[in-house]
Amino acid sequence: MNAIPGRSPWLLAGLLVLAGLALVALGLAVGSTGWHWPWSADAPDTGQAAILWEIRLPRSLGAWLAGALLGLAGAVAQGLFRNPLADPYLLGSASGASLGVAVLLAATGLPSAATDWLPQLGITGAAFAGALGGVLLTLALARGVQQTLRLLLAGVIVGVVLGALSSLLLLRLPEVMRTLQGFMLGSTGFLGWSAVQVLALSLVPALVVALALARALDALALGEATALSLGVPLGPARGLLVAVMALATGAAVAQVGLVAFVGLVAPHLVRLAARPTHRALLPLSALAGGALLLAADVASRWVLAPQELPVGVLTAVLGGGYLLWLMHRRPL
Amino acid sequence: MADGHPLRRGWAIGFLIALLLLLLGQALPAQAELVRIVDDRGRTVTLPVPPRRIVSLLPSLTETVCALGACDRLVGVDNYSNWPDRVKSLPHVGGLEDAQVETVVALRPDLVLAATSTRSVARLEALGLRVLAIEPRTLADLRRVIAQLDQALATGQGAALQAGIDQALAGAASLVSPAARGRRVYFEVSEAPYAASEASFVGELLARLGATNVVPASLGPFPKLNPEFVVRADPQVILTTSGSAVRIAERPGWRAISAVRESRVCAFTPAQADVLVRPGPRLGEGLRLMADCLAGPIGRAP
Amino acid sequence: MSTALSAPLISASALSARALAVARGGRPVIAGLDLALPAGRWTAVVGPNGAGKTTLLMALAGLLPCQGEVRWLGQLPRDLGTRGRGRLLSWLGQGEEGAAADLLAHDVVMLGRLPHQGWLAAPSAPDRAAVEEAMRRTGCWDWRHRALGELSGGERQRVLLARALAVQAPLLLMDEPLAHLDPPHQADWLHLVRAHVATGGTVVSVLHDLNMALQADALVLIDQGQIHHQGATDDPATHRALEAVFDQRVAVCGVDASWVVLPAQRAR
Repeated sequence: MNAIPGRSPWLLAGLLVLAGLALVALGLAVGSTGWHWPWSADAPDTGQAAILWEIRLPRSLGAWLAGALLGLAGAVAQGLFRNPLADPYLLGSASGASLGVAVLLAATGLPSAATDWLPQLGITGAAFAGALGGVLLTLALARGVQQTLRLLLAGVIVGVVLGALSSLLLLRLPEVMRTLQGFMLGSTGFLGWSAVQVLALSLVPALVVALALARALDALALGEATALSLGVPLGPARGLLVAVMALATGAAVAQVGLVAFVGLVAPHLVRLAARPTHRALLPLSALAGGALLLAADVASRWVLAPQELPVGVLTAVLGGGYLLWLMHRRPL
Repeated sequence: MADGHPLRRGWAIGFLIALLLLLLGQALPAQAELVRIVDDRGRTVTLPVPPRRIVSLLPSLTETVCALGACDRLVGVDNYSNWPDRVKSLPHVGGLEDAQVETVVALRPDLVLAATSTRSVARLEALGLRVLAIEPRTLADLRRVIAQLDQALATGQGAALQAGIDQALAGAASLVSPAARGRRVYFEVSEAPYAASEASFVGELLARLGATNVVPASLGPFPKLNPEFVVRADPQVILTTSGSAVRIAERPGWRAISAVRESRVCAFTPAQADVLVRPGPRLGEGLRLMADCLAGPIGRAP
Repeated sequence: MSTALSAPLISASALSARALAVARGGRPVIAGLDLALPAGRWTAVVGPNGAGKTTLLMALAGLLPCQGEVRWLGQLPRDLGTRGRGRLLSWLGQGEEGAAADLLAHDVVMLGRLPHQGWLAAPSAPDRAAVEEAMRRTGCWDWRHRALGELSGGERQRVLLARALAVQAPLLLMDEPLAHLDPPHQADWLHLVRAHVATGGTVVSVLHDLNMALQADALVLIDQGQIHHQGATDDPATHRALEAVFDQRVAVCGVDASWVVLPAQRAR
């Protein structure tokens, strides 16, 4: 960590935590009736407490946690592949998740008893299984994590092929199209307390493991040969980092669908505001991702209340817009 | 008539020929007047004779054509047309997005029925086919479409079909007991959630059944809602075609909804969904399906 | 010319290789090479382009899969553990640091202390002292708070050198360490290396600048994956071998107390 005032990671962390808290408060105030402070006199009264506790609070927390997972996975992806354009969906997790959901939706329509257990799995389970499956397929295709370029290429191939399979399925069964499209645009609409638990239980270990490997990520930035010479166990480190990416992305995607841009943009927002090593970058990216997705979620509920905009559209607008502004103010 | 004078003979022959032609014209089999229909795009489609080879690219139009008694004139339908059973054996030529132009042309139709949003309409017209782009989205649309198809196909059964529909609509209110009338209803079309508002076809049917749709028409026919809205509106009956009745009860905060508490959630199968959502001649059946759901004391278990 | 190495020679040398064979992309680059580099000396590895210099250095540093036996200070690297290896040998490679553009110079040099730190441990006082010393010696302490991407080529190279020095390892292997450095800083680097060697360290560097190479204590001449000659830099035999390796297109001349390499005159 460096000690320059104004560029301190601690300052940024404080700002992001405050932003997160403010957004959660806003999330409590925004709902299908627009914006009302929960305790003000003119707030609509019907079941207000239940709505706050059962709907708005878990939704806001869940959105923040999902964003944090995506931000963390994005920072890991960019460090692992040493590419500022890397995002957590690189290893086939996104297309795997949408294929999983498509298969589930298709099978739910079929009356056969063989697929009776599938509805129990739910969209959440199917998306998670699909995401992990996509990553495993990529690893198999790349024959392990030894070569980064090979891993990237395998991820792209798996992404394209699985995406094509999803499209084929959609062609045969267009009635699932709307639901699948909703999944692919991202949706925070049904995040309840169980979702919050799952997300929180995924974030903590992912963060801990990633932090343990923060040095490895820093050393990797100097090149693989240098990292090896510094005693970084490249093979196990890469394997663990891929696992963190897969689990974090899978958990987030399972709950909120394929939200675009958060994983890509959150680390960049942090880097433009401070110049941290990964030890700070990883948790800061999580904080930034959480704030971004929560802000998008609040906006999606607010702009057209009681209708909702797809949250993925808003993450792109908010994240991209802020990034543009930052780029304009500072040289990259 | 003096003979030998050429001019006068010419006049006579000309007069005879004209008379002959006039008589012939009268004797030809009664031609229908040239049928001109303005479709939803504002284009005028001209039909010199009633079409005998029809390709339909929209399931609701397929059903309407068959209800008008012209089912035997269909030579091709889209992938999703599945009623009545006889159309299942017809050649399928693709969907809304990807109608196979070559297959359609190979069927040599003299009329193609399509939705306004079908992508291949321009292509088919460029290849010389007659395309009527009409899409029923509301009850008023359906009335117009029935009239247009009846005119285009010259079936003469349009009035009877319309009368049957009107009768079903008129009898709708009686399908539901007075106690169940006025119930607050929420109709979900797909998970997200997308709901059917008062402005949609299904919403109109629900209104005829005396139900109160919690989703107002001001939001458009199929708005994507904030789930909180549904919780606040507290519908007494939930109808869904998204097949997710199991999951509806599990949504955060939805346990408090009257419909969920009292197990009045009806999930329709895809076949039933077809009946409900397609604006077509089966709306009587659709009304009965929904009335069953509304009227039942327990309704269907989620 | 390779000679069979005897056991005492191996144990006395800082870096030794026996029957070293390295293949890259399926093609053998080095085959059956023997080498013993003495401790406490600076050895420069020179040779024509594509001779296998970088490959040899990476194989010696244990960064490439190879056949044969490599020993560091008489020990087998695999017996040392990853951190032990990191503390024994410090590596500075060519042009790899593109992705580190966002890191501050100080943080980059601190990475050199990785082999001395526990996995989750924060930098300790000895770490910070080593980093400061290394940065002062390469003259980059003044911009320790600037990001690597904002520095010029020479400034960046000095930061990377400091990173290699911060490891405080007895063996220092450097591949083209003078890239982007202007003559004054090349002279600084020279003093650095001499100071390191004077304290008992061993330096092996691949250099394409023959004049710099002739400032070393010993020279290893490589061509086509084979060692052509190994000897002291002030040995005339080494000079003749040097000229031979470069096809007699260079000439070694004496200037003051050192040697310089000049392009050969046409007539030769």
